[in-house]
Amino acid sequence: MENILLRDNVADLEGYFACGGYKPLKKALTAGPAAVIEEVKKSGLRGRGGAGFPAGLKWSFIPRDAQGPRYLVCNADEGEPGTFKDRELMIKNPHALIEGMAIAAFAIGASHGYIYIRGEFFAETEILEKAIAAARAKGFIGKNILGSGFNFELFVHRGAGAYICGEETALLESLEGFKGQPRLKPPFPAVKGLFGGPTIINNVETLAAVPAIIEHGGDWYAAIGVGKSTGTKLFCVSGPVNKPGVYELPLGVPFKDFLEKNCGGMKEGKKLKAVIPGGSSTPVLTAAEAMAVKLDYESLAAAGSMLGSGAVIIIDESQCMVKLLQVLARFYHHESCGQCTPCREGCGWIEKILNRLEAGKGSVKDIDTLYSVADSMLGRTICPLADAMAMPAMSFVTKFRSEFEAHAAGKCCE
Amino acid sequence: MPKLTIDGKTIEVAKGTTLLEAAQQLGVYIPRYCYHPRLSVSGNCRMCLVEVEKAPKLVTACSTEAAEGMTVRTDSEKVKAARKDVLEFLLINHPLDCPICDQAGECGLQDYYMEYSLKKSRFSREDKVRRGKRRPLGPNLVLDNERCILCTRCVRFCAEVTKTSELEVMERADHSFIDLKEGKALDNGYTLNIADICPVGAWTSRDFRFKQRVWFLKKTPTVCLGCATGCQIEAHHNDNTIYRIMPRPNAETNTWLCDQGRMTYKAVQAGDRLSKGVIRNGVIDLEPALREAATRIDAAHSAAAVAVLGSPWLSVEDNAALARLAKDAIKTESFCFDLAAEQGIKDGILINKDAAPNTAGVALVKAAHGGISLGELASRLASGKIKVLVTEARAAAFLKPVLASAKPLLIVFATNRAQIPPEAYATLAYASYFETPGTFVNYQGLRRTTEPAVNAREGVKPLWTLVSKLAAYSGASLKLDSPEDALKGIDFK
Repeated sequence: MENILLRDNVADLEGYFACGGYKPLKKALTAGPAAVIEEVKKSGLRGRGGAGFPAGLKWSFIPRDAQGPRYLVCNADEGEPGTFKDRELMIKNPHALIEGMAIAAFAIGASHGYIYIRGEFFAETEILEKAIAAARAKGFIGKNILGSGFNFELFVHRGAGAYICGEETALLESLEGFKGQPRLKPPFPAVKGLFGGPTIINNVETLAAVPAIIEHGGDWYAAIGVGKSTGTKLFCVSGPVNKPGVYELPLGVPFKDFLEKNCGGMKEGKKLKAVIPGGSSTPVLTAAEAMAVKLDYESLAAAGSMLGSGAVIIIDESQCMVKLLQVLARFYHHESCGQCTPCREGCGWIEKILNRLEAGKGSVKDIDTLYSVADSMLGRTICPLADAMAMPAMSFVTKFRSEFEAHAAGKCCE
Repeated sequence: MPKLTIDGKTIEVAKGTTLLEAAQQLGVYIPRYCYHPRLSVSGNCRMCLVEVEKAPKLVTACSTEAAEGMTVRTDSEKVKAARKDVLEFLLINHPLDCPICDQAGECGLQDYYMEYSLKKSRFSREDKVRRGKRRPLGPNLVLDNERCILCTRCVRFCAEVTKTSELEVMERADHSFIDLKEGKALDNGYTLNIADICPVGAWTSRDFRFKQRVWFLKKTPTVCLGCATGCQIEAHHNDNTIYRIMPRPNAETNTWLCDQGRMTYKAVQAGDRLSKGVIRNGVIDLEPALREAATRIDAAHSAAAVAVLGSPWLSVEDNAALARLAKDAIKTESFCFDLAAEQGIKDGILINKDAAPNTAGVALVKAAHGGISLGELASRLASGKIKVLVTEARAAAFLKPVLASAKPLLIVFATNRAQIPPEAYATLAYASYFETPGTFVNYQGLRRTTEPAVNAREGVKPLWTLVSKLAAYSGASLKLDSPEDALKGIDFK
């Protein structure tokens, strides 16, 4: 099928126009906010940032009687190890995001929108700013959009490099100028978010899918994919495959087909050992589990992992699982905001145990401690960062225990 | 009014009540570090996790509002395991230097470890995160970041109570630490509250550090006489020595206590503390000093030549005794209990515009015994008719300009040498209100009585007994045998 998001020759306004760009915005402005939300609900579009929450439902959570300004925020703080799909999307199709935001803002009654973009994305920031300026010049952003009386200002805000700011409430704190630390929930951002106003936060990919849904209808979008996993999803593949990169596929494609057809199979001489299917925070799958799974929300959940952000990390037989988990632990230890106890203390503890095992100074007892520390962190913190450390840690230890034991015995698997 | 069940007990609570508060109402204690009733909810320590039926995860009791029909367990295996785990996490990087830590004995880590954990450490000692130790911050505190559990009570106190925001958490993860913001000094006048609310030994008082093990301290509830606010306090003492003053939180006046108020105990055991009499600059025993003062009063020849001035630093009893001295013993009309001062909280927290503790109490003495106005007393002094003035040392300042010119013979009561005005002829030492009971009326009109925490030095007596003796030496009996006798005729309403 034809790509909805990752299309060629739409990076500039002329190209985007040629493909019918900004027509959905006009359609939405005529249809009215309720009709837009209804269409998005019908499409079954789910959050593409990782949690997979239905987008239309999220938009309808803003209290009807809410006073004062409302905000739309795009989460472009793409920082999970292995994830690079939003960057590709912003480079190739920035206007889909801008148009999607204008439509979403209209639907929720927001007159201000922010794109919170990862601090390291210099080029992408420039691309978005140029695209917004072009859209503004044509009257798609700004006052009285297309004569509808709807006003929408859109700003790009660069983060400062903290992974935690991809968590939506930490993102809001950072956007407000504070240290990026997650907030206690409730209240949820739809009730009390940015500057205390009702706020909807969506991922880049989620918002970029909105124009197509408005253009072709929710039913059209819902017909793509399988079951409750509707539409297309970007998958970014890294690791020893012949063609790593970003792919747009209808949800529900078997991993086996994806690996062989899209990614061109494993690199010469490499044998698949494991797959992290949805970004570094999702539980790892063994090769056998991966080869049997379909790439959609439900299938991956049933296999004990998550679709997450769609970042597929391929691990071959030559890679050491202890070393790999150590790299992840170093990352999460570094990025834990330090606010709540289990994550602050646990991430560091896990890294220290792994350092010991990796250096050949660990023991079998360390492996059990590692697992139990991860278990103690799970589900007991303000935000899911602790889970993002605990889930891979527990799945690595459970599924590849022999490698950890080899390390404990002083023998590295390499 | 949601109705919920906690550990099998049902309670109906006001809307907005949290699970922690609801449990407290039922007498169910939920352990907590970051929660403080007078600070915003932070939810970071995770010690108060409880189980709510149908909730997928444990929830923090401090931040979860009670809802109709909720079933909460604070004693389930899941909750107990979570507490153990949180304590283990909090302790892995803790230095465990309890033997040299002032907090030992009143430490949240020690107490909860004994109550909820008793788990053996699985963390290797060499892996502990090292952070800054013994950092003096501001005039009153020392910060030990290794002991800190990052509950942020101190940060929130400075942001929300004093609104000075000196502190912040720097860095991230397990290398986070409490730091002073650039360009700030930790001297907001309420800093010692930080040591109180710190649940561990991270913040300690420079004044109290290494002075006493807290389990030796005896606690006497009393009243702060640092200003007209009249905060309820607790004097902590051992072996007849006071070591620190802590607030006694109450709804009427104070949760906190100012730094100045906390230091009021120092005068009691200061080097310049008076225990005898002083005539000009020479120290003599109290009895001869009293006789000398009485002689001087008698030598004024006429009652009209003697004046008595009350003091807002003295209790109602002692002021009333002075009024009786003037009226019934000396029989002068020149006595004054007219010491109005502007009262009210001046900093929005606790410190009063009126630095004296008993202006309102003096007004009650005036209402009962009458007397002349301060202006009238000053003009009588200026006219030279008054030869002898009897008052409390600090109250002499009310007449400072006229004292210099009129030069009456000044007889004052004082507790410390520093209080004695240069014009004083005779000074008589009296027992401070940490040593003797006294009634004080604060700016709100609340009557509060000090309770003696320590014994006065040998020979040092309450002021009203000295007044009684002065009267006796002058040949009059005031029939003052107890503080209650002095309070006769005073209407507290």
